[in-house]
Amino acid sequence: MALQTSGRRMLLGLVSQSCHHVRGKHHKQALTNAGVQKKRMNLFSKEAERQAALVTDVEKIEVQYQGQPEDCTLIMNKNISTPYNCAQHITQMIMDRSVLAEVDGQVWDMHRPLEDNCSLRFLHFKQSDPYYANKAFWRSASVMLGAVLESTFKDNIYVELCSYPSPNVRTGSFVYDVDLKIPTWTPTKEELRTLSGEMVKLAMAGHRFQRLEVDASLALKMFEDNHYKTLQIPHIAAQSSTGNTVVLYQIGNFLEISRGPMIANTNFLGKVSVMAVHPIQTNQGQLFRIQGVALPKGIMLNHFTYGILEKRAAELNAGRIPVINKDNLQPTKAAEALST
Amino acid sequence: MNQAEIRKLIPALRVAMTPKKRRFSNPRGPEGRLFKMRTTVNELIKNERMEVNYNRADEARGYAERLISEAIRYGDCHRPTMELADFWLPEKQNVHKLFKVLVPRFKDSEISYTRVHKAPHVYPSTLFDKVVLELRGNPFPPLEKLTTKRNWIHNILLEEAHREYLEKKYKQEGEEEEEVQ
Repeated sequence: MALQTSGRRMLLGLVSQSCHHVRGKHHKQALTNAGVQKKRMNLFSKEAERQAALVTDVEKIEVQYQGQPEDCTLIMNKNISTPYNCAQHITQMIMDRSVLAEVDGQVWDMHRPLEDNCSLRFLHFKQSDPYYANKAFWRSASVMLGAVLESTFKDNIYVELCSYPSPNVRTGSFVYDVDLKIPTWTPTKEELRTLSGEMVKLAMAGHRFQRLEVDASLALKMFEDNHYKTLQIPHIAAQSSTGNTVVLYQIGNFLEISRGPMIANTNFLGKVSVMAVHPIQTNQGQLFRIQGVALPKGIMLNHFTYGILEKRAAELNAGRIPVINKDNLQPTKAAEALST
Repeated sequence: MNQAEIRKLIPALRVAMTPKKRRFSNPRGPEGRLFKMRTTVNELIKNERMEVNYNRADEARGYAERLISEAIRYGDCHRPTMELADFWLPEKQNVHKLFKVLVPRFKDSEISYTRVHKAPHVYPSTLFDKVVLELRGNPFPPLEKLTTKRNWIHNILLEEAHREYLEKKYKQEGEEEEEVQ
C-alpha cells in the first residue's frame, strides 16, 4: 500500500510489504480503485443525463423564502431549480453559509431540485440549535473519509468500503468501516497525517454533494464490485419510500449510497484530522474502523482544545458494528430478484 | 450619626459607579455640568433609548437611576421628590411619564432600571467610546441577539469530552478509596 505521489511512497510502506500475500478475498485480481470509480462515474453521469432529459417543459413554482435579509417570494423552475439557486437570488452571505435547506419543514439538500410550490428556509452551523446541520456535517465527513480511503491507496490494495454507523456528534469521532484485505495495520503518525491531508485536499477542491435517486437495479450494477454495498442495496431499496430506489451522492469521482441529507459542498470542512485505525470483528471477518474528528469551516478552536478532541477521537468509537447479512450471501441472486 | 448609618438611609444604586470624578469642563462651572447631565436624563426619560459618549452616559445613568428610585420610593405626593423631578425633567410631560408610566413599570423590578450597550464607531467619528443608553422594558426591538452557542458543534464535542473526563476521574477516585479501605 502506498500513496500515488512518489514523496509519500515511504509513508505506507509497512503495510505494502505485508499485504501482497493476503489480498483478494472477494474480488478479482484485475480490479483497481480508479478503474471501479471510473466505471461507476460513467454509469452515474449517464443516469444523471437521462433524468435531466426527462424534464422537458419548464414549469414555474412559487417559493416563499423566510429569513434574512427579508422574506420574499421567488419564481423558480420546477424540478430544475435547487435551494442553492434560490440563495443565489438572495445574497452572497446566504449562499456561502447555508449548509442545508428546510423545504416545507423538511430538511432538504442544497443541490436537490425543488418539486413544487413550497416555503424555504436555510440552515447553517451558527444557529442557536444547529442539530440538523451538525448531523449532516458528521455524515458528510464520514462520506468524505470514504472518498479519501478509496482514492488514496495504491492499486495493490483494493479498498472495499463497507458502511458507517449513524452519525452521532456526541461520540466524538466520525467513522468509516472499510475492508482493506490486510490482516493488520498499525498506521504511523505520518500515514494518518497523509490521510488528513487528503481530506483537506478534498475539502479545498470544493466539490458539490450531488444527489441522485436511482433504481436499485442500476445501483447494484454500479456497486457490483463492492461485496458489502451489493448486500446492502436491496435492504436500503426496500426501506425507501418508493420501495425500489436508492439515493446516491456524488463528490468528485466518488459515489456513495446514503439517505442524506448532506452538506452543500466539501469546502464546508475546516479543521480535520484522521486519528485512528481500529480492527473490528464482524460476523464476516475483520474490518478496519477509521476514525477522525473535524470542525466546520469558520469554527475556530485553539490547538490545545482541539488536541483534547483529537485525543478523544482516537479512542474506539462505540458506534454499531456492521452486521453483514447472511440471508443475502449470494449477491447475484438478490440482484436478479430486483432486476426482474 | 456616623458614615455607616447614613448609607442605610439612602438605598444603594443598582449600577456600579466609578469612584473617580469626571471633569466635564464647562464655562458655567459645576452648575453647567449639571445642566448638561439634565439634558441627557431628560432625553433618556423621553425617548427611552439614546446613543451618547460613554462618559456622559455613565454619569447621567446614575442620576436617572436615582430619580426613578426616589419616584418609586416616595410617589408623586412627596414635595422633595417632586422638586427633584422638576429640576431633572425640564419638559413637564416627562414628569407625568415618570410617575404614571415608569413607576408602575419598575416598581417590582429587582435589577437596574437602565442598560448600557457598547456601540460601534462609525467612520469618520471622534475617538470617544460610544454607547447606547436605554431604559429597560422599552418598546424598541432588542439590541442584543439572544443566541446561544451551546449547541454549536465544537461545544457539543467539548461538553462530551468533559463529561467523559469526569466519569473517568470519579471512577479512578472510587477505586482508590476501595483500595484504602
